Amino acid sequence: MPTVMTHMVAWYPDRDRSLEAAAALAAGGASYLEIQFPFSDPMADGPVIQAACTKALEAGFTLSGGFDLIRQITSMVDIPVYIMSYASPAVSMGVERFVTSARQAGASGCIIPDLPVGCDEGFFAYSKSIGMDAVPVIAPNVTHKRLEEILSVSPRYVYTALRAGITGTQTVLDQPLIDFLSVLSAQKVKVLGGFGISSSEQIRALSPYVHAVVVGSHLVRAITEAVSHGRSVSESIRSAMKQWEQ
Amino acid sequence: MAQTEFSMKNLPDENGYFGEYGGSYIPPQLQLIMNEITEAYTKLKDDPAFIEELSYLRKHYIGRPSPVYYAKSLTELVGGAKIYLKREDLNHTGAHKINHCVAEALLAKKMGKKKIIAETGAGQHGVALATAAALVGLECDIYMGEVDIKKEHPNVSRMKVLGARVIPVSRGTKTLKDAVDAAFEAYLADPDTQLYAIGSAVGPHPFPMMIRDFQSVVGYEAREQFQALEGALPDALVACVGGGSNAIGLFTAFLNDEDIAIYGVEPAGKSFKEGEHAATLTLGKPGVLHGFSSYLLQNDAGEPLPVYSIASGLDYPGVGPQHSYLKDLNRVTYVTANDVEAVEAFYQLSRIEGIIPAMESAHAVAYAVKLAKEMGPGKTILINLSGRGDKDIDYILENYPLAE
Repeated sequence: MPTVMTHMVAWYPDRDRSLEAAAALAAGGASYLEIQFPFSDPMADGPVIQAACTKALEAGFTLSGGFDLIRQITSMVDIPVYIMSYASPAVSMGVERFVTSARQAGASGCIIPDLPVGCDEGFFAYSKSIGMDAVPVIAPNVTHKRLEEILSVSPRYVYTALRAGITGTQTVLDQPLIDFLSVLSAQKVKVLGGFGISSSEQIRALSPYVHAVVVGSHLVRAITEAVSHGRSVSESIRSAMKQWEQ
Repeated sequence: MAQTEFSMKNLPDENGYFGEYGGSYIPPQLQLIMNEITEAYTKLKDDPAFIEELSYLRKHYIGRPSPVYYAKSLTELVGGAKIYLKREDLNHTGAHKINHCVAEALLAKKMGKKKIIAETGAGQHGVALATAAALVGLECDIYMGEVDIKKEHPNVSRMKVLGARVIPVSRGTKTLKDAVDAAFEAYLADPDTQLYAIGSAVGPHPFPMMIRDFQSVVGYEAREQFQALEGALPDALVACVGGGSNAIGLFTAFLNDEDIAIYGVEPAGKSFKEGEHAATLTLGKPGVLHGFSSYLLQNDAGEPLPVYSIASGLDYPGVGPQHSYLKDLNRVTYVTANDVEAVEAFYQLSRIEGIIPAMESAHAVAYAVKLAKEMGPGKTILINLSGRGDKDIDYILENYPLAE
């Protein structure tokens, strides 16, 4: 089993089944859980994840409910859990309070794509001061200067958006992408590579170049299909993840 | 003119901040694209050929300068300060939006883009952009919520006639804010051949700055025109504020004249209850949405609150970041007018001056009439009449019929 960070949406399709999904992902061999807090106006989610977020909000997600779910998940699984969110909710709550709540819930860190280094309302400095990972997101066509700025906050992990766009459509591993990942891996950071991973071939192809492969909309789609066919969420996740081992 | 602490010349800073507002709260893949636009705009804005082309089109295509008109009958009826109108309703397409759309289309062309895309709410920005795209020779995709498409049928037809594709947005509330998300998403999917042309002085840097710069022609013209008419500058300025593009367009030329009182009028809708207004600066608090920081109407979870105004061009849960800054500086006073007051002003201006204002602009007229009484004779007020009201007549007649 390659090292995988699995992505899921809190409260999708509802609170209980998102808890069930987290347990299934951990049992299925995930090395990290990335749990997204749904938001109505995201700026980098594809249609699959956005539709899941809309459902999750309708199912009654709140920030305090979200942190409570994380607390339950972290006490249940023994792999690191990362919260993915957007600037609107984090800034609205106060970035320091947000990160503190994440820590109290047992999360290892946060990924907030629209709080980039330098325009982050203290996200990176404060996280570091209380021992939380603030994971910066990097686009493959990043300039050298910008990469240096990002690495200057000494992150343990960086999250790369492998397709220069939104999540959920196919990523092609071409030579420039491999070169980019090689440059990144030569730094003292662990690379989490995601956006658009949809097959076991892609996971295997990407694995040698990153610390962990991030699998997102593929799994969200598996949950969506389970829901629409009245199947169990954990069963769908189990069978989706089983394919990766072959 | 003495430069003061209010000097806006150097704002925003290089990261797009007006004080603590603005900035660029966007994922890195979008940041690279915004950097490309900033670079292209910075180069272009001082390019003599671009300046010449834009000023030619302003004069011969848009029909600028738009007149400044002394509303004598309205003034006499009110019996207070003299009321003047900056007639942006007389521009080609009937509103101020064309000022930035023509410039954005030129920018897209110079950047080598094939297509220009945007969201629209009531359809005013969509029509203006479709017009500019036709003029410059670009394809045009307009993202519009399904709810708005049903409500704003004539504008949908206008966009189609002008050759634009109107793409229905069926997600979320199916209105303006969801159309913004869809347009950004489409832009991210193909930033190389398209340029995103935002509809107001909002969004991540450089949009608030660009829209402000393109709209500021309104105030610079008005300043000269008013001086010629009155031999002095106005005592007060009034403009409606949704996203804030027409207001910042008028205000910019006067911000350093501290003696001039400036008012931005927000829509108070049906009441100040949640969901019944869009008075962002009056009732909101600072936060982040759609890539920038500003006053916002949002709940504790950071979710944008539902907003409402009789004027669909004003119902946005955010506001341009420079307005947030001007509020905190107390340089501009942000006030409100509600639906009923705006409808009264709509009829009043139509009946007494023969000018049918857009419902958005009617908010500015409503407040200015009150202000004129307070200020009294011997003073002058300049209103930005940002658009004409043809688009609103059926709705107003049906819902607010005239007493026989």
